[in-house]
Formats: sequence, structure tokens, C-alpha cells
Amino acid sequence: MNEHKGPLLLSAKDIVVRFNLRGQELTAIRGASLNVYQGETVAIVGESGSGKSVFTKTFIGMLDQNGRVEAGQLLFHGEDMVRYDSEAQWLKVRGKKIAMVFQDPMTSLNPVRVVGEQIAEVIMWHFQKSHEEARQETIDLLRRVGIDEPERRYRQYPGEFSGGMRQRVVIAAAIACRPEILICDEPTTALDVTVQAQVLNLIKELQREMGMSVVFITHDLGVVANVADWVAVMYAGKIIEYGEAEEVFHQAQHPYTQALLRSLPQLGVKGQDLYAIQGTPPSLFKEIQGDAFAPRNPDAMKIDFLEEPPAFPVSPTHWAKTWLLSPEAEEYRLGLKRRDEQRKAAQSPAPPFDYAQAEPLLSVRNLSVHFKLGSSRVKAVDGVSFDIYRGETLSLVGESGSGKTTIGRAIMSIYSGNVEGEISFKGQKINQKLSKKDRGRLHMEMQMIFQDPMASLNDRAKVDYIISEGLYNYRLFENEQDRIAKVEKMLEEVGLTSDFMTRFPHEFSGGQRQRIGIARSLIMNPDFVVADEPISALDVSIRAQVINLLNRMKKERELTYLFIAHDLSAVRFISDRIAVIYRGRLVELAACEELFARPLHPYTKALLSAAPYPDPALEKNKTILTYHPSREEDNKNRQWIEAYPFHFVYATEQEIEAYRDESK
Amino acid sequence: MENTLNRIDKIHDSALFTAADFDRAESERIGVSNYSYWRSTFRTFFKSKLVIVLVGLMAAILLMSFLYPVISKVDPTKVSTRSRNWNLRPSWDHLFGTDTLGRDIFARAWYGCRNSFLLAFCIALSDVGIGMIAGAIWGYNRKLDPIMIELYNVMTNIPSTVYLVLLAYIMNTSYLTLFISMASRGWIVEARFFRNRILSIRDAEYNIASRCLGTPMLRIATRNIIPQIISLIIMEAALCIPYSIGSEVFLGFVGVGMPVDAITLGNMVNQGRASFTLHPYQMLLPTAVLCLITVAFYIIGNRFADASDPRNHL
Repeated sequence: MNEHKGPLLLSAKDIVVRFNLRGQELTAIRGASLNVYQGETVAIVGESGSGKSVFTKTFIGMLDQNGRVEAGQLLFHGEDMVRYDSEAQWLKVRGKKIAMVFQDPMTSLNPVRVVGEQIAEVIMWHFQKSHEEARQETIDLLRRVGIDEPERRYRQYPGEFSGGMRQRVVIAAAIACRPEILICDEPTTALDVTVQAQVLNLIKELQREMGMSVVFITHDLGVVANVADWVAVMYAGKIIEYGEAEEVFHQAQHPYTQALLRSLPQLGVKGQDLYAIQGTPPSLFKEIQGDAFAPRNPDAMKIDFLEEPPAFPVSPTHWAKTWLLSPEAEEYRLGLKRRDEQRKAAQSPAPPFDYAQAEPLLSVRNLSVHFKLGSSRVKAVDGVSFDIYRGETLSLVGESGSGKTTIGRAIMSIYSGNVEGEISFKGQKINQKLSKKDRGRLHMEMQMIFQDPMASLNDRAKVDYIISEGLYNYRLFENEQDRIAKVEKMLEEVGLTSDFMTRFPHEFSGGQRQRIGIARSLIMNPDFVVADEPISALDVSIRAQVINLLNRMKKERELTYLFIAHDLSAVRFISDRIAVIYRGRLVELAACEELFARPLHPYTKALLSAAPYPDPALEKNKTILTYHPSREEDNKNRQWIEAYPFHFVYATEQEIEAYRDESK
Repeated sequence: MENTLNRIDKIHDSALFTAADFDRAESERIGVSNYSYWRSTFRTFFKSKLVIVLVGLMAAILLMSFLYPVISKVDPTKVSTRSRNWNLRPSWDHLFGTDTLGRDIFARAWYGCRNSFLLAFCIALSDVGIGMIAGAIWGYNRKLDPIMIELYNVMTNIPSTVYLVLLAYIMNTSYLTLFISMASRGWIVEARFFRNRILSIRDAEYNIASRCLGTPMLRIATRNIIPQIISLIIMEAALCIPYSIGSEVFLGFVGVGMPVDAITLGNMVNQGRASFTLHPYQMLLPTAVLCLITVAFYIIGNRFADASDPRNHL
């Protein structure tokens, strides 16, 4: 029965957590159980609000003030930690035996103290060591987590570290006491993909070295595939499927897990709709009857709405809470399976975009954007040139700070004065003073979709006004009825109902808000849309909806997209061409499949190797390439060269030869 | 027992293991947030009993100070020629007693409240109003920074008392003089405050979205910016009131306030001061009213500022 590597360390049984939120009771965890075995990694997957963070916070007694564990057991070394009533009891466990690494390293570091002292303090406190001993140990730890020159870095403040380095410091502090269990709460979500890959490797190495157990919380299935031995899928405060990583990825049984895996853009067929999970996660303020996922599952059975499914075993190491596994549902399950296979067979990829007859819609030539930072001038974008053809989707991919959003905003004429070069739309230069009429026309023909659905909607305006804003600006309606009809039609197109009109944005979930933002832009009937990371702030279950919506709108309205993203794997499904940007410069531009088949620039290769892929077998054995720009930084002879037809690279003549040889 | 049996029956009913209808609208139904900014602000605000008491008290005082002159027949300026009506101690006839000229201090207190409030409201309105407009222009035009910061430094570094005394001294004493001398200075402090707030929300994504849609500046201001900072406007206005009343009292105290025949809290405190040793109630009672109003407004303003901060919404 026991397939685990080591003995059972921590056992959480039927944990129920309630919060008192603004006068209402919210049941965040509805009876979740999890076992953590020594030396293993268990990943908890779920979308925001599923309770994965709250669940693990109970392991170290760090629930927010208004929350409490109402029922359940937390067995750790023979003690039930739910019964702990004093902080002193928790202090013996928290940090010492069970340590935690959070998403944002700044929440666990004190910005006004040098990092070394912050770690040394932990060691002195828990092991009663002298300052000098602790200092030495800290320096060893910093070296161990991959920080160069640890003696010098010891005396630096958190602000002097980059995001990835800061997370390494937090990890060093967490492992300082050699904990038995390390809980990692989305430790890499805020990091760039290349940095993420390094941090994940570090955590895995440390685990092997120290024999720790790791509880890894994430919403990214690619990351799960990379780190997890065991996977627990969480939905609406319950673990609904649990098993070995291979089993969960290849034989998922719960409809939610299946849907999550199927809706990944990495696995989609180009030109076809992605499989999308409908709707939004359920409210935890109300009592949930039956299977929490049933209202969003088009293939739900009647029983799903009535009774909560028990855990049905699939194999000795794998179980799922779904009625589909019940013997009575055998026939129904086989029917679904047949239909699924038929659907898969019917899908064939769309032909690639035909560039032979394409005409450019937007041209960018030698675009540079600089910002004033104090007295210095920072070039965010440096001599970028590209064309976007009518009807295509060009993706601009780069890490944070690479200037990709700046390019998008420069095209939308958000900046004034600090933009050099030429941007022309339909043959007309647009980054200059234009007549009011021309500017108005541009506002109708070019629109933008934003990254963060929480920040991009005005919280104090009703949905009706938000969507009509553009209509009001240019009087694009005849009378009030006409306007309302237009808004209703637009809402329907993005999959929302017209009774949402009179509500405020805070009543909606992230995915719904993003769709409202899309409606606001598309009601202007644009030809060209800048989509600035429209899916990166969304939950996994929502992303496919939005991707499908964008693709459908493109087809129906003949749109052209500039799609800005930070992750190569996600854009493969939607783009016709991909441009890779590094530190304000384009380094490679090619058709989508060409780029994946034959990446030339070392930075593109590094990005491709770092992107997590949702398959444990591939993900666990991959090698990660790193890009060291310093070795060729000062080479001034680089040009924008067509290495292969329609495949451009920023390199010197010699480098091109080398790249060509490598790619053969 | 029967219940369990029923349940088992239900589970083994194979009709339940068939497809259910899918309702799209149901799948979109959520309760991710029951959050409303204003509801949460007022909930947090009225959580404290002190705030409830103070708000109730202020509402009563405000109402009374505007109603009293209408409903009461007592003339606050009526001077008595008989000395037995002078300097009466507080009694049922004269709740706060009478002053050296036999005028009813209770009636005068309400009239004084009304006049001081009116003056304070006007000053709050102009300070916050002009300050907000100036702050918005300042926030949107970085070129104004050097000039405005200099102006701010000069105006705030001159001690306000010197400035107020000088201005009040040059012009004849009247409500208008008092208003001009206080309003000419207060706006710049508010302007700087609003400039900082506007700078922080100016480049928020929803404002950039509005710019992409070509929304004119005026509508961005009225629909995007003002609704975001309205709670700050309320708070600043509430804090302006005790400050204005205090300044008026101070000017009266140094002798450049209102003409003696005007009934304001400042004048009353000032006149009571003359006979303080013999009849302390003549100064203490108006001062108590004054203290109550200023302290209450300060507390209300500060508590509202705390409550309007979303970080305090639990």
C-alpha cells in the first residue's frame, strides 16, 4: 500500500477553516486532508481562492486574525497542532521544523536591515550560537543558495538584490534551521521564466541534500510537472484528486483536473478553439451542495448536484472525488471518452499565415523610448523596428523590464516627448501632433487590452459606463436606446449577460473583469489591438476562455493583434509570428513554428528551455540553458540580419555563422 | 435511519448518473467579492462607539445652531440696562448665564456657533475646492513642479500667525477679511496633498485605458479621478473646519478678529476673558463648546481617513 519514500511526517485530516469577512462567514477550507511524507514533494494545485494558501498556513499556525480552524486534526510528531493555543507552542514548530517561503520575498525581509543579519538572527535564536558562528554559517548558506561573493552580499540590504536573488535569500533563511518540511507558496510566480527555472532547481537540490519534504503551492501545471512527486488538486476548499505526478498528468479522473490539463494553450491545436472551462469559481460564502465543480461542468451528471462524491480509488496511489468513477457511471464515462476521442480526431491545425500577400498595417522604425530616473536617462526601448501585417498576430516576448509594455504604450501614443523614431499606421506617421479628427480616428482604429483586470477597470464606475466610455467620447450612438443595445450586444459577445450592466466591477471575478475590459476596447470596432499580457494575471481555468475570446474576435472582426507576453510557451498557440525582446532590443523575429523549430539567438534558446512544460517526464529531465549577455555586450557590429527567409536575428556576421551551424 | 436509507437509494438510482442540463448563467454566478468601497468605509467608520457619539453630537450641534436662531425668541444682542440682569450665574432662565451687559450667553453661543460654522464651511470649501483644482493641474503638469514647490515652501514657512495677523491688520475687520486672510493660504497645503494623490493614480491602468479611448481630460477628472479621492476630499474638509474655527478664535484673541458686535465663538471667548477672574463661566462655557467642536471634528476627520483606507477594511 505504501508507495512513499519515507515515513509519514505531517498528516492533516479533514481541516475546516472559516473566515469572518466583513460580517459574512466564508468557509475557505471545507474538510481537506493531506499527508506529507519525508523526502517527498507534494504539489497543491488550484486557482486563486481555492484555499491552497490558507490550507498550508494552518500547518504553521499563521492564519489571518479573522480566520480559525474549526475542525480537523494536524498530526505532527504525535501532537495535534490544531489544539495549540499559545504562540510559544507554535514557535517550537514554525520556522524550526516547518518553514515557509512566500511569493513575494519582500514580505519576509526587512527592507532596512542587511540580509545577512536577518538570517544570522534566525540561527542565533534557534541554536543559541554566538554572533560570529552565526555569521559564518550564514555566509555558507548564502553561498549554498547560489549567491556570489556572500561575504559582500551579507552586508547588503534587500533592495540591492534582484527579485530572483531576493527569493534565494528567503530560501536561505527558511532552510537555516534545517526544517523537516519546507512550504513554498508560489515562490516563483513573480519571477521571470529563466529565473524561475533556476530557483526551482535550487529548491530541488536543497531538498535532495537535506532530505526535506516540500509542500509546493502553485497554479502553474508546468511548475508542478517540474517539481512534484505527488500532486493534490484543490478546488473550492477541498482536495479533489490526489496521486503520483505521472498519474495525475496522464490519467486525470476528476473533470476539473481533466479540464485544467486540456485547457492549457501548450496542448492546443492552432486555429481551433482551446478547451475552455466555463464560468467562474464558486462562492464560498454559501453552502456548496454536491460536487463544487458541477455548475461549471457541461458534462456533469444529475447526481453531481445532489450528493458530494467520496474518494474513489483509481490505483493504490491515486484517488479522485468524482461520481464518474462510481460503477453506476461506467456507461456515461465511456460515452464521454468516445466523444472526446472523436473531438480530438476532428481537430486539424489551421494553415500558417500567408505572408506573401500580406500588407503591413503598422510599421515601427528605430523606435527608442527613454525615461528620466532622477538625473539619469534610461533607455527602455532602443532602436526597435518591425512591421505588423494586416490580420496577423505578432507576439512580443520578453522578461520584465525588457521594454515590451513600453513598446505597446508607445504605439498607443501614451507617452509624449520621450519617443524617438517613427510609428506609422496605415501609412500615416502617428507619433507626432495630429489633428483632432485624425487622433479621434486612431482612437477608434487602435485599441489596447490591459494586463491586470483588477487595475484596468475604474472601480467607481458601473459596467455600463465603462463599456460605453468610448461611445460617449465620439458620440458613436444615436440615442440612449441605441447605446444600451450596443453595450448589451457587446456584453453578449464576450459571454456576459446584460444584467451585469448596472453592477460595479468589484462584483466580478478576474476573468469576468478581463472580458469587460475586452468589451470596452472592442466596442470601438478597432482594426488593431495591443494586448498587453491579457492572460498572465488570470487563473489557469480562466485563461482558455480569454484566449478563445480573443481568437474568435480576431476571426469575426478581422483584427490584427500585437500580443505582449513574458512566456514563450503560452504564445505559441495564438501567434503567427514571434519577436523576442531583450533589454529594449529585438534579438530574434520569426514565424511561430520556425522559431520553435530553429531558435538561433542564445537568449531565445534560454527562454525556450526555461519555459515549464506540463509533462512530468519531459520537465524533470530537461536541461536549462542560461544566457550570459556580458561576454558579448560590447560588440557594436551587430545588425538585424535575415538568417533564414523571414527569420531575423540581431547578431554579427560571425555569430550568424555560428548560430547557423548550431541549428543544423 | 430513514434518511440514510433514502440517501443510499438515491445514490444507487442509475437515473442520476446521466447528463444534467448545463446552465451557462449559473456557471457565471459568483460571490468572489461582496466588497463595496463605501459600504466597507462606513462599516469601519461606525464600528467605534466614540465615532457614533461624536457624529451624533456634531449633527445635533449643527442642527441646533442653525435652528436656534429661527425657533428661539431670545435676542442675543439685547443689552439690559438693569444691573441685576448682569453677570447672572447659569440658571434655568439663562442656561449659560448672562454676560457683563446682561446678554444671554446660551443664545449667543448658538449664534456664535452658527457664524463660526458658516465661516469655517466657507473656508473649508475654498481651501479644498481651490486646492483640489490647483493640485490636479499641478499633478498633471510636471513643469509646474519647481514654481509650485517654491511657492509652497515660501507660504508654509512663514508662520501662519504672523501672516494672519498682518493680513487682518491691513484690511478692516469683517467676515470677508477673515475669510480672505485664511483662504489665501490654506489652499496651497491642500493643493500639495492632492497633487501627491493624483500623481499616484494618474498612471493607473484604468486611466491609461481612458486615454486610449480618447476620453477628454475633464471626463477623466470627473469620472475616474474625483470618485477615487472623494473620501480624501471629505476628510480634508472635515479637518479644515476645526482649524478655521481655531484660527478665528486666535485672531479674536490677539485683537484683530471680528468687530466686537459680531457674535462668533472667538469674540465670546475674548469677551469672557475680561471678566474671567470674577465670572469664569463667561469664558469657560463658550470655550467648552469650542473645544468640543474642534476635538470632535479632528477625531471624526481622522477616523474617517482611517476608515477610507481600504487596508483597514476587514
